[in-house]
Amino acid sequence: MVEVNIQSVWKYYGKTAAVKDLNLKCPENSFLAILGPSGCGKSSTLRMLAGLEHISAGEIFFGAVRVNQLPPKERDIAMVFENYALYPHKTVFENMANPLRLRNVNREEIDKRVRRAAELLQIDMLLDRKPMQLSGGQKQRTAIGRAIVREPKVFLFDEPIAHLDAKLRAHMRGELKHLQRRLETTTIYVTHDQLEAMSMADSIAVMHEGVLQQFGTPSDIYNHPANEWVAGFVGEPPMNFLNCRIEQGTSGVAVVHPSFRLILNDVQRRLLEEKGAEVEVRLGARPDTIAYRPGANSGLDVPAKVYVTEPLGGDMIVEVQLGADRLTVKTKIGPSANLDDPCTIGFDASRVHLFAASNGIAYF
Amino acid sequence: MTDQAINTGAGRPAVSPQAVVDAARPTGVRQIDYRPDAFNPAPSRRFYFLMMTPSIVLLAGISIYPFIWLIYMSLHTVGEAGQPDVWNDFKNFTRFATDGKFQNGWLLLIKYSAMCMVLEVGLGVLLAVILNRSKLEKFLVTIILMPMMMAPIIAGLVWLFLYNGAFGWYHWLLQSIGILGPTSVLGDSDIAMFGLVAVDVWQWTPLITLITLAGLKRVPQDQLEANMVDGAGPLRNFISVALPNIYPFLLIAVLLRFMDNFRFIDAILILTGGGPADATNMLPVYLFDVSFQYFKLGRGAAVALTLLLVTIVLGMVLVKLFEDPRRKIKVHGREEG
Repeated sequence: MVEVNIQSVWKYYGKTAAVKDLNLKCPENSFLAILGPSGCGKSSTLRMLAGLEHISAGEIFFGAVRVNQLPPKERDIAMVFENYALYPHKTVFENMANPLRLRNVNREEIDKRVRRAAELLQIDMLLDRKPMQLSGGQKQRTAIGRAIVREPKVFLFDEPIAHLDAKLRAHMRGELKHLQRRLETTTIYVTHDQLEAMSMADSIAVMHEGVLQQFGTPSDIYNHPANEWVAGFVGEPPMNFLNCRIEQGTSGVAVVHPSFRLILNDVQRRLLEEKGAEVEVRLGARPDTIAYRPGANSGLDVPAKVYVTEPLGGDMIVEVQLGADRLTVKTKIGPSANLDDPCTIGFDASRVHLFAASNGIAYF
Repeated sequence: MTDQAINTGAGRPAVSPQAVVDAARPTGVRQIDYRPDAFNPAPSRRFYFLMMTPSIVLLAGISIYPFIWLIYMSLHTVGEAGQPDVWNDFKNFTRFATDGKFQNGWLLLIKYSAMCMVLEVGLGVLLAVILNRSKLEKFLVTIILMPMMMAPIIAGLVWLFLYNGAFGWYHWLLQSIGILGPTSVLGDSDIAMFGLVAVDVWQWTPLITLITLAGLKRVPQDQLEANMVDGAGPLRNFISVALPNIYPFLLIAVLLRFMDNFRFIDAILILTGGGPADATNMLPVYLFDVSFQYFKLGRGAAVALTLLLVTIVLGMVLVKLFEDPRRKIKVHGREEG
């Protein structure tokens, strides 16, 4: 319904800065996820958007309206809280009707809208229950119901499905995304779960220690991480990092590790030149881009030793000892191996990432 | 086929109605339907009972025995100085119908308790809300609690000085701002009651504040915030979120205060002694006079018993409300709807 614009926003708690110079723009009707570990400032950002927290510096706009000084009730937002924050003494119906009652909507309209929202969320048979009599998933639906009975300008979600069990969480991811598309409302969603952010959002803002690390589409974040921290945070299992050097050899520019050499292609070489790469770099390789074969001399370039294998049914995670480094490799399921069994691994040079060793900024 | 092995292994016929039901169940879900052969014994209750015996005996000695004596006395004309007690066919109770002071005592007591309760709960909650938001909370709580720490007799004496018609500060203050006429606070039968209420409010509001403050700490922050986002202002937020949450705490506070008020006598005896012209002659004071001024112990016991009975019944009603918050919630819901 409205574009949300966060401009140079800071949040201080006493002398600690929780959010540092944040600039974000969430286009009308799109789904923005703010992703980061706990304490990264993502919840503070959301609470500033909701008006529950004072904005220490900077400005927040909903459309053309500057909302810095507006109390929550005048911002026309709806928020779903991490612990649902249902009113325990009210029924599901009354919980959902609360925002409408507080805005003096008439009785029939309340009834109509609550029932419609309840049907949408499939909780229409629970309307007379108290929150205590609901399961986690039902509570969460009620909390969402309370948010969607109105047509607010912005939806704010604060880790709404973090406390559900894994199966229900996977289900609700789809439901929430569907709901957002259907209601067509600007949505800002805070989470520490990269899977939620990747699967649901139109754009993701990755935050760390109060600083925005990267802002882009899920595919941008995954395929072109802006720095080593983002690369390590997004992706499961996490990306492997190795300390390497860049050397100009006869066969071209190569990334050199004590155990192997990788020749870079032209595009990568140009990127390194453009960005003035240092000699010391960190090589990043996602576990599923590394090939693995058990046994000595089994055909891949780099000889290594098995540290442990973790079969996962269809896939297998293999931890591999490569000199002093340990790498995680994701491969199709195969025979288990014992500690120190020989194996070989291979890197896909076109899919590796390089980061500056000094500050972690990505070259590609 | 392990499932069937378990089911038929218990010696059932090969095809029973149960087997048909079992067959209709989704396959692959293992059903175990037998009971354990032996249950582990629950811990013995005798031990707990033994541990409680000394306190039960002590309690019986210090409270049940006198209580039975009270009932005995209320049914007799208690003889003074060695005279025998005489059964009097419930005369101690039947005379209540014509006893003006007894009825007046009840009336005054109810008036007094109601005024105290309303003022104390109102002020107490207000103070608690203010304190809860204050940065000096801990310091202010200590200060506010001071009156409560004072023995009621001492509080009575302090206020006696403050109300004194010759040099009392409140007396002077009230006269200066024109509320009080030429009389003194405790000397005027229209005002004396309010004088007593003021003392009680001064001394016991802190208790309500303290209990409410504890309740306010428990009000979930996220519910308050959710309500704010839903569109509630501060007052609405307090009424619809904080109040239902502190309601059990308030009920305990009210229960304590009301039971205390019904037997409160210390400061009243010091300040007015029931006067002027019986304007503050509440039931406890009357009870004291009958029993220990006129030494009509039988009649006194009867008065005490009625007082006790009413206290117990009202207390039970309050506890009932406390135990069954859903009732209150329904009422609350109806008010809202």
